[in-house]
Parts: sequence; C-alpha cells; structure tokens
Amino acid sequence: MSDAAPIPMLEIRHVTKRFGQLSAVKDVNLSINKGEIFALLGGSGCGKTTLLRIMAGFETPTEGTVLIDGEDVSNMPPYKRPVNMMFQSYALFPHMTVEQNVAFGLKQDKLPKAEIEAQVHKMLQLVQMNEFAKRKPNQLSGGQRQRVALARSLAKKPKVLLLDEPMGALDKKLRSQMQLEVVDIIESIGVTCVMVTHDQEEAMVMADRVSIMHDGEIMQIGSPSDIYESPNSRHTAEFIGSVNIFDAAVQHVGLEVSQMSCEDLACTLSVEGSVNAIEGAHIGVAVRPEKIIMSRTQPEQANNWAKGRVQDIAYLGGHSVYHVELDSGKVVMATATNVDRHEQRLTWKDEVYLYWSAASAVVLCQ
Amino acid sequence: MSKLGARCVIAVPYIWLVMFFLVPFIIVFKISFSEMQYAIPPYTDLVTWADEVLTIKLNLGTYAYLINDDLYFRAYMSSARIAFIATVCALLIGYPIAYAIARADTATRNALLMLVMLPSWTSFLIRIYAWVGILKNNGLINNGLMGIGIIDEPIAMLNTEFAVYLGIVYAYLPFMVLPIYTNLVKLDNSLLEASADLGCSPWKTFLTITLPLSKAGIIAGCMLVFIPSVGEFVIPEMLGGAETLMIGKVLWQEFFNNRDWPVASAVAIVMLLLLLVPITFFHRYQARELGS
Repeated sequence: MSDAAPIPMLEIRHVTKRFGQLSAVKDVNLSINKGEIFALLGGSGCGKTTLLRIMAGFETPTEGTVLIDGEDVSNMPPYKRPVNMMFQSYALFPHMTVEQNVAFGLKQDKLPKAEIEAQVHKMLQLVQMNEFAKRKPNQLSGGQRQRVALARSLAKKPKVLLLDEPMGALDKKLRSQMQLEVVDIIESIGVTCVMVTHDQEEAMVMADRVSIMHDGEIMQIGSPSDIYESPNSRHTAEFIGSVNIFDAAVQHVGLEVSQMSCEDLACTLSVEGSVNAIEGAHIGVAVRPEKIIMSRTQPEQANNWAKGRVQDIAYLGGHSVYHVELDSGKVVMATATNVDRHEQRLTWKDEVYLYWSAASAVVLCQ
Repeated sequence: MSKLGARCVIAVPYIWLVMFFLVPFIIVFKISFSEMQYAIPPYTDLVTWADEVLTIKLNLGTYAYLINDDLYFRAYMSSARIAFIATVCALLIGYPIAYAIARADTATRNALLMLVMLPSWTSFLIRIYAWVGILKNNGLINNGLMGIGIIDEPIAMLNTEFAVYLGIVYAYLPFMVLPIYTNLVKLDNSLLEASADLGCSPWKTFLTITLPLSKAGIIAGCMLVFIPSVGEFVIPEMLGGAETLMIGKVLWQEFFNNRDWPVASAVAIVMLLLLLVPITFFHRYQARELGS
C-alpha cells in the first residue's frame, strides 16, 4: 500500500437499473481505485450481479453513469470496453483449444501473430497451464478451466478485470487454495479488479475493500476488518460472520463510555466511546461470539456480563461454538478455542458466566 | 433373466429393421440381377432347378446398361444438383428461422415451433397440389399481379426448375429448421457474452462462436433435406416440367411405364449406394463429436 492519493479507475455515479417495476440496483455510487481488488458481497437477488453486468456493458443503466479511467462508458457496447470478465461458468469456447481460447481476444485486436503467440504463452505461464495448451476445455478439470478463464480475461490487459463468483464452481478445498493463488496473479499484474461473491470468506480473503449490498443498495464499504469489527447496521453485522445482538435502550451518552439498559441482562451494557443517539433511543448492541469469554465463576466486572446454561455445543475441531441460554430465554453464542486436547470443557446444562469488554461491543443504530 | 429381457427389448427394433428394410433391400437387389420377362412376376428367377441341374444366372447387363445409356448418369447428376441447390436454399432460409425461434422467449418459442410443424399435418400431396394452383398461369400469383396491372402476361412458373426448388424447399424446410433449432437452443448465452467481452462485434460473434457450435445441427438438417430430395418423385412430377430430370421420375417410369423391374431395381440400388457417401460422412462426424 502506497501513501499516494488513490486514483479512481472505475466510478459508478448514481446508477439505477430497473427491470419493469423491479429496481435491481438503486442509486449506487462507487469509486474503485487503480490496482485495488474490490468485492461486491451480498445474498442472492441483492443486485450485485446486475451491477457487475452494468460494468461489463451487458446491461445499460436506467439512470446514472459509469466511468472507466475517466471516460464515460455508460452506452459503450461490451466489445468496445477496456474491461474483461471471468464468467461464473467460465464460458470457455468448447470448440477451441486452451491456446485458442486465450488468443481469442487478442485476435480481435488484429495484433501481429508473433505478438499474440508471445502473450498467450506468457498468460498460460502465469496460470501454469502451458502444458495443457493444446487441450480442449472438456478435457480439463474444474480448477484448470478456471486458470484458463483467468488467463483469457487477463490476456487483453484490461483496465478493469471483473470476476463473477470466481470460486463458485470449485469444491471447498480447491477454493481456498485458488483464492490466494488468484489474488497473487492479479496483484502480480496490478490490474484493478471487481469481484462479485455471496461468500463472505472469499470476499474477506481476496479483497482489499468490500462493499455489502442488500436489496439493490450499498450498505457499507470498507476493508474486511472494518466491516467485520465495525458494522454500521444490523444487516451487515448479521451478514458477515455470526453475531449476538442485544436490544437495548440508551441510558447515558458519555465521551469515554456510554451506558445502555437491556432487558436480557441483569447488569447495564457499557460501550466504549460516544453513541450517535439520544438517551432513551432503542438501539442494538452487537458482540461477536469470539469476543465473549466464558467462565464458571462470576466475573469481577460490574457491567457486560450474563449468566446462563449451556444449551448446545457445536464442535468444529479448532474451536467450539457454545449456545448459552440466558435466564430471559435469549440464546447467546460464544466461541472457545480448543487449546488442550484433554481439557475438562464445559458441557451441556453447565451453568456459565459470560462477559466481555466495553471495547468489544458495537452499537448499531439502524 | 434381466439380460434376456434387455435382449428382447433391443430385438424389437432389430426385427423391424430386418423385416422392413433389409429384406426389401435384398429383394430389390436380387431383382436387379435378373432379366425382364413378360410374365408374373415380370422378371426371371436367379436360381433355377431343372433336370437335376442347378442354374444360377446373374445378369450384370442391367448395370452395364445404366452405365452405357447416359440418361441415367444425367438423371443422377441432375438429381444431386437439384437436391444440393435446394438444400443450400433451405439452409439459408431455415437457419435464420431456427435462430429467431431459439432466441425468442419460451412462450413465443412454442407457438413458433407449432407454426413450423403445422403444415405437416396436411397431406404432403395436397400441399404440393396447392402450389400448382398458386403457380400456374391463371393461378393465384399471376392473376393477382395481372389484376393490379404489374404484368400484362402471366409469368411461366409452373413446370419449371424454379417450381421444383420452391416445392422442395417448402416441403423440407421443417427438417432443416428443427435440428438447427434444437442445437441453437442449447447454446450457452454466456459464451456469446464472453465473445462480446473479448472484443467481438455481434456479427463476428455469430461467425466465430454461434456458427461453428451449430455445425452438428447444420449437418443434420442438410442430410435430412438432401437425402430425401435426391429421390423425390412427387415434386418434380407435379411442379417440374418435361426437362426436369430427376432419378425419382426415372425410377417411376421404369417401374410403371416400361415395366422393366430389373432396370428400376438397379437404378434404386445405385441411388442408395450414392447416398451412402454423405450418410457415412455424417455418421463419422457424429461419432467423432461424441468421442471427443
């Protein structure tokens, strides 16, 4: 990361896309910087794919403009845009060899033959597919097809690379391996990249910045850790990872610490810093399960604790997720790392105290 | 037990093919080696048994006759030419139709497919006969054009080679449209998008992606039009003129006018052998496609 001011490569200004009565994308504004990997993350039907297709030129925005490197491309057909896409299904041409697939885009630019050959060779080397150059796509495995698709979309040196659910067609093990590999390849070239995914883990692993989309709107944009640690809404907090949200009312707003009351807890809730709400306002307080500590003895702190009974345990190998039922009936999730192999762990029906620090909680106003 | 059951199921189409294809073929093949005679049946037996002498008499003269009389050669060439031109015309008309149907939305698609197939619900003979009424000198087109004063004299369309092409293209167009449609409808739209994304204009995309990927449909459609067109009898008989020479007509004349069954059989056998060339080509192509 350099300190220089970021240069926007792709700008989306007030873009709206309507299909009949339905608005798939609602007044979206985005600025994606040069050399950055940007993820559009959201559930199905949130408009992320439509937005990507608007960038590629397969859909024209009903309102708003799309700028690539400062040039308005809103009405430019896809075959003239300096943008290439890697399709979810890879869309490799079945009647062409790997080599021909990669050369396809270069041939359209009427480059000299030697130059095309050199670029194809370079691209296949980059994705380690040179030995498969003469194969047809149906003779390749899923991972190999993905490499070819990536090589093909990078061959024309696009200003922006678009990835549509890049790992969607791979199995889980291959997925985590390819995520890092694809990022390495993209970063080695330095191309600006926009990816669409519904998999939060994929977005967090691969992207420099993530935007959460919901119902055609962008809910939050930030680095993966910003979005995870400081969600700005209940939707974002619940969409990324798991979270416990306490419904609370603001009691006291302070500069250092603010206090809230919660019906589920016997004590008050305290949150670090000031809260952007008036006293008495109803808000949510989010605490991630890994930030909650479990103990058999009552904690010393006066605030931010609860007492309950272990209701369910999900053993995940490296760590376990405990579902603890509070006296009010609310179920709170807490995780514990399984450090010791033969440790005497908490078990079902055990009484347990939960506590967390004021710095771990996040106030959600909406 | 289940193996026996499976064999029985497979046996049904085999028995059908042997009974209604192989046996008639052998009979026709046999007749082509006999001699014509005025009797019932109007040909000699190949194998005779008289006075304890078994005589097998193979008459190769019929085939020699086919080679020596250039009528047959001209008829074969003319049939192949007419069938070829008609197939090309049917392809040029049928491909856009198939493409349009495949690109239409599902509801319209079914209606359009129905329209393609609907004419086949009427008798083939009646439909060809209807064209006589349309094309003849005082028919629909000529009367219409003369009525509005575009022409003063009727244009001779019936009994020309043009009418034969028209008839073949009209009658066999569904056989061209349907296989191409079946192929195009399976075409993955993301391939076309990928092509556009990589810099191909819509026309270039059609030439480099759509057309090569619909090759199997095009070949199947062309075979389905070309093969029956070569032996077509009704269309040249009803729409064609005296100068329209087609092997189907020759075959009919040998059988029914000249009552020369051996020559007619030989004509049929040679036609079948000639058609085997494109059929084997088609099968080898299919096998290669399936193999890869």
